[in-house]
Amino acid sequence: MHMLDGYGMDTITLAGSLEAKLSAMKAAGFSQVMLMARDLVGHPGGVESAAQAVRDSGLRPTGFQVLRDFEGLSGHLHDYKVDMAKSMLVMCQAVGSRVLLACSSTSRHATDEREQIVRDLRKLAMLALPLGIRVAYEALSWGRTVNDYVTSWELVEAADCPNLGVGIDSFHIFAARSPLDALEDMDPEKIFLVQLSDFMWNETPTFEDRITTARTFRVFPGEGVHSEQLADLVMRLERMGYQGDFSFEVFNDDYQQLPLSTVAERARRSALWLHQDVLHRSAPLPDWTGSR
Amino acid sequence: MRTQTTDRESIPELPNRLGIEGIEFIEYATSRPQALGQVLEQMGFRPVARHRSREVTLYRQGSMNLIVNANHEAARVELTQEGQPVLSAVAFRVRDALKAHTRCLDLGAWSVPSHAQAMELHIPAIHGPGSSRFYFVDRWREFSIYDIDFNPIPTVEVKPPALEGMGYFGVVQYIGAQRSADWLTYFEHMFDFSPIPDEERYGILPKGKLMRSPCGQFLWQLIEPEPWMDVEDSGECLQRIGLGVKDVAKAVQVLKARGVEFVESSRLHPEDRGALTRSVLGSVAFELVHQD
Repeated sequence: MHMLDGYGMDTITLAGSLEAKLSAMKAAGFSQVMLMARDLVGHPGGVESAAQAVRDSGLRPTGFQVLRDFEGLSGHLHDYKVDMAKSMLVMCQAVGSRVLLACSSTSRHATDEREQIVRDLRKLAMLALPLGIRVAYEALSWGRTVNDYVTSWELVEAADCPNLGVGIDSFHIFAARSPLDALEDMDPEKIFLVQLSDFMWNETPTFEDRITTARTFRVFPGEGVHSEQLADLVMRLERMGYQGDFSFEVFNDDYQQLPLSTVAERARRSALWLHQDVLHRSAPLPDWTGSR
Repeated sequence: MRTQTTDRESIPELPNRLGIEGIEFIEYATSRPQALGQVLEQMGFRPVARHRSREVTLYRQGSMNLIVNANHEAARVELTQEGQPVLSAVAFRVRDALKAHTRCLDLGAWSVPSHAQAMELHIPAIHGPGSSRFYFVDRWREFSIYDIDFNPIPTVEVKPPALEGMGYFGVVQYIGAQRSADWLTYFEHMFDFSPIPDEERYGILPKGKLMRSPCGQFLWQLIEPEPWMDVEDSGECLQRIGLGVKDVAKAVQVLKARGVEFVESSRLHPEDRGALTRSVLGSVAFELVHQD
């Protein structure tokens, strides 16, 4: 058991090859990695080689991302998305990830009818189930119908499948200014993934502001202007009994042009801040003491 | 008109939206069809027909059809480890195979492409656990599907009687750790199976979770690995067939006389409830279960 075991980086934060990213994360002390489909398909050796690189790294996949705009479509659009979902699930399984991240739909072609969204989410969960994969449904703060975590939780609850849960992303919560009180209504075991990041502005009133910031200028927890809220979020999750992973979902154009070790070190600092200053967890004693 | 009794007791009818009416056949895949054939013959099955275009043999006893697929092109046969036979498919009798298949796909099942040759039946199928499949057969009342794809073996009795009245009682499926809730939901959702309370048990191996088919004709048992087992032992597959029999002791006696060996263990309580054959060919075992 190591201090950073519950925290992980996301490949989207780093530039370079998959192997270089994995190696930088490992060198910084992380034991898990959130993978992006592009890391696999863009690998010079193809998906199988990428999966092998992940296995060789010894890093545990936190999850696999990202299935977009799945729910609420009909006819040929729905069929097309089912095919996309199946391909994503096959890759997710190949890389050894137990969690697929699916983001709420931004499509203008998607219905806002609750029954259909629930039906589609259940279908996605059923597609994933024989493969042993759990689906984490995350509300994007610019989602067309589902844009806060409360709604995503209500839909997940209504779909009622054991392998369907929610993904929480602190960025979207702060960007949409969603109150944290509703967290307490959630079953902590149905939170399949928590992604943490912060940003530098106090206001992101429009969907456009949110999209631009989300995709280019997120920072690690402890580096932005919402540290207090982020600490509050993490502590609430801890109190609720959340025992899953915290993954750093940090899209940042600056980090994309810095040495990987520099960025990974910032991630490490962030994890230590969360672990020691926020959650006040102590460093585990060495194994030989027998008191783990 | 509803009767007064029904109104008073309001007995809920179990839904059976696929119109499942029992098991049409169970299939083994193996690269050692003769060795498996010997085992099946000891168990009372008799080879009755051969497939017209592939290395596939139909065995039968009483109401049970059992197919041995040794077709080298079948991926499932290739997957069998060191010639160990695997339970590769279960075919359900349904009201309308096309509708059943379509409904399952709508709910999130993975379709299996058909490889039927000219003049052969296209039996729709979906992927099941591991490398297995579920087939849907709707033509079993008026004529036999085997008359189309199979040639009878000359001089052999087409409908050999069952030893001691044995019939399909159920299927045991091995599942991954903490996967019971997932698979219970899957079978409920796809096929309208219903969970049986833990207190209600059959046979001699009361582990895991039990479900009943909506037609009430067979059971399905899910078994998770023991907590101490390695990850490699937690694969998912259809593990064995349960055979229902009125007089277990008599059936054991008859089968022993034919050379079948049974597991004798103080852990099991053979008496009248059931018995388990010793696993042969590395993977083939049958469970006898008392059934009135």
